Amino acid sequence: MADIGQIAASVDSLKEHLGIHHYICSDQIATAVYLAFHLKKPVLIEGPPGVGKTELAKTTAEMFELPLIRLQCYEGLDEAKALYEWKYGKQLLYTQVLKETLEEVLQGAKGFAQSIERLHEFGDIFFSEEFLEPRPLLKALREEHGCVLLIDEVDKSDHEFEALLLEILSDYQVSIPEIGTIKATHEPPIVFLTSNNTREISDALKRRCLHLYIPFPDVELEQRIIHARVPEIPPELRKQLVAFIHELRDLDLKKSPAISETIDWARTLLLLHTDRLDPKLVRDTLNVILKFQEDIENVETELTTLTSKAVKS
Amino acid sequence: MDRTLSNFIRALRNAEVRVSTAETLDAFNTVQLVGYRDRNFLKRALSLVLPKTADEKEAFDDCFEQFFSFKKFDDDATAANEGAGAGDAEGGGEHADTGEAAESAEGAEGPEGSEGSEGRRGSGGGEGGRKRKSKTAFGPEAEEEELGAGAMADARSELGQLLMNDDRTALSMAMSAAGQEVNVQEIMVFTQKGLYTRRIMEVMGLAEMQREMIDLRQSTETPDRRLAQELKRRREWLREHVRDYVEQQFLLHADVTGRRLREELLRKVKLSNVEHRNFRLIQEVVFRMAKRLVALHSRRRKVFKRGQLNVPRTLRHNMAYDGAIFDLRWKSVKIDRPKVFAICDVSGSVANYARFMLMFLYSLEDVMPKVRSFAFSSDLAEVTELFDRNNIEDAIAKTLRDYAGGSTDYGQAFEDFKRNCLDDVDNRTTIIILGDARNNYGDPKAEILKEMYDRCKRLIWLNPESRNTWNVGDAEMRRYSAYCHQVEECNSLMHLERIVGNLLRSV
Repeated sequence: MADIGQIAASVDSLKEHLGIHHYICSDQIATAVYLAFHLKKPVLIEGPPGVGKTELAKTTAEMFELPLIRLQCYEGLDEAKALYEWKYGKQLLYTQVLKETLEEVLQGAKGFAQSIERLHEFGDIFFSEEFLEPRPLLKALREEHGCVLLIDEVDKSDHEFEALLLEILSDYQVSIPEIGTIKATHEPPIVFLTSNNTREISDALKRRCLHLYIPFPDVELEQRIIHARVPEIPPELRKQLVAFIHELRDLDLKKSPAISETIDWARTLLLLHTDRLDPKLVRDTLNVILKFQEDIENVETELTTLTSKAVKS
Repeated sequence: MDRTLSNFIRALRNAEVRVSTAETLDAFNTVQLVGYRDRNFLKRALSLVLPKTADEKEAFDDCFEQFFSFKKFDDDATAANEGAGAGDAEGGGEHADTGEAAESAEGAEGPEGSEGSEGRRGSGGGEGGRKRKSKTAFGPEAEEEELGAGAMADARSELGQLLMNDDRTALSMAMSAAGQEVNVQEIMVFTQKGLYTRRIMEVMGLAEMQREMIDLRQSTETPDRRLAQELKRRREWLREHVRDYVEQQFLLHADVTGRRLREELLRKVKLSNVEHRNFRLIQEVVFRMAKRLVALHSRRRKVFKRGQLNVPRTLRHNMAYDGAIFDLRWKSVKIDRPKVFAICDVSGSVANYARFMLMFLYSLEDVMPKVRSFAFSSDLAEVTELFDRNNIEDAIAKTLRDYAGGSTDYGQAFEDFKRNCLDDVDNRTTIIILGDARNNYGDPKAEILKEMYDRCKRLIWLNPESRNTWNVGDAEMRRYSAYCHQVEECNSLMHLERIVGNLLRSV
């Protein structure tokens, strides 16, 4: 068991430990984790796709050696899939089975009122924990030693779902009408929400969260990331490819290459046993970093200049 | 409570970062956790708690840099130094020293935080640089009376003592405290700077010192007169600082307030009276307005699943019937956002308004996905595509170039509308007509409007003229308004905003 308190004692220590788990981050990101831990507040992470939003949550879980519970959001996600559901099948089956025993229970009961009274003695067994099917959010709350809860791409979900999250995020509890309020048992989960900005997240939700914006990293940081993720790549090539990616990001593209694409590209180049960039090679592997034909065509015309710039830098 | 932080949050709000009370509390907790010691750490931490969008983060950065800068007395001391012409060889080294002192103090104390316990901690670091500095900052200076260097009497007034002791931290503290007392944060416009400078000086005890100076000057003792001179010099120096301080507060608190005031005014002013130099500002206002409306209403855009069986709800609901499923539950019904046809009169009589109407029409296309825009003075033309393809300025310029200027003919325009797109109008359509209904005594063709009225869900007429001139002269408003669901006077941005807001809500 990792000593969570010690790891989270300072921002520097967090940064170091994230680094050990191959997540190279800026001070800002480490500060976010630090505050999330100490203030017990969820973190809403925004930023362009592929800058490591989801990865941060995963790495944090790994670092603290806590289970990661992940809830992938999509349109139409509702409480039955996110929070809890009753085991309907089981409930139905049990009612059928118990029909037989019902007579025994009611034997000797005089009149309607008495029968009902007897039935009441059994309580709401059908709506008890036995029949409750916990979904990710509830699971996260009931996790004994705390956990990392990742609510991924929350912007894809509906407004209703956002409203549902409010109670969980601010108080770490949920209300189930039939049972009552369930509170986080011991340690509240460390919650990360990610958003790709396909729509504005409501103010109410933002208010309850710390807001972390992860931009594309600068050259130096990205080189360190590549170094951590693809250590086998020669330093010279690493420098060139990161420079090239940064050149690309300055262009007006439909989708700029993200860190994940840089990593993929580094792996690709490693596979091809190259030690320096040249235009032909870049052209052949361009589809690793650019995902739209339109972008590829745009870049191809300037490929030679871009490559030579990257090589020189 | 931490006054520095609440002042900072106030400044943030001024810079259009929306900070709620809950977030303020979070910020307090954060500061408790993080402390004022490490400036960058504090900045990073607060930037996670307070600003919640990329735009706000930018504003936050600027605001933080401005607010938590502790340069005033140290920097200006060097300026005073040079001004006094006492620039000695040591000057360079001292600069660096004070710079450092400022650095170390910076993280520790905000301008107003100096009263807090944190402030004291910081002052220790700054001390060294300051003490040495003091020798040169007030080097003897030739004045009316050459008294030569020598013993000086002790100042009696509080402010005089402060000045003579040359304790900058204390001065700075006194100044911010005085600033608080006169509510310097309330400063609104540029011209108030002098006023606030004077007030702060007064609260700091200027009057008392003045009296002392007069007494001293009349004294026969040389040390007294020397002190009087020195005090006068230091008073000027202080005034300089207070003015800088007020200036900074102005930038922090009022700059935007003034701007917001102007925007607020612009929203209410009649569109025809907007001066040309304000066009850019108004464009921003319109854009922001449209953006806010998008944010408010985009939730309607969601596609619901229609006609699908909601199994869990069905089962849950039928538990009561012994599990026999006969009462079915469906997934919710789709709510659609309005389909809008906007028809804008761009003829001579409404030329002053046309630009803004078009501007709004353009922004409207962002708010609602299904807007079709038309412009006419006599012949009607669809400009939807034009708007799609061009940026706002070009689009408006082109529309005005191509369609404006003619004399108005509503009859013809309605005729064209009927021919071209009446078929597309259905019972979910809203039609908005922007125009003054001045038809040059031509045939109003109100029967076509009636046809539109019958087919559409809502027909709204927005008239830029004020209500009492609606039926004067060649205006046909009386006849047209019979076939409108709603007629509104609309000649300021406020009107527009309200109407569109209502429109979006009611559909």
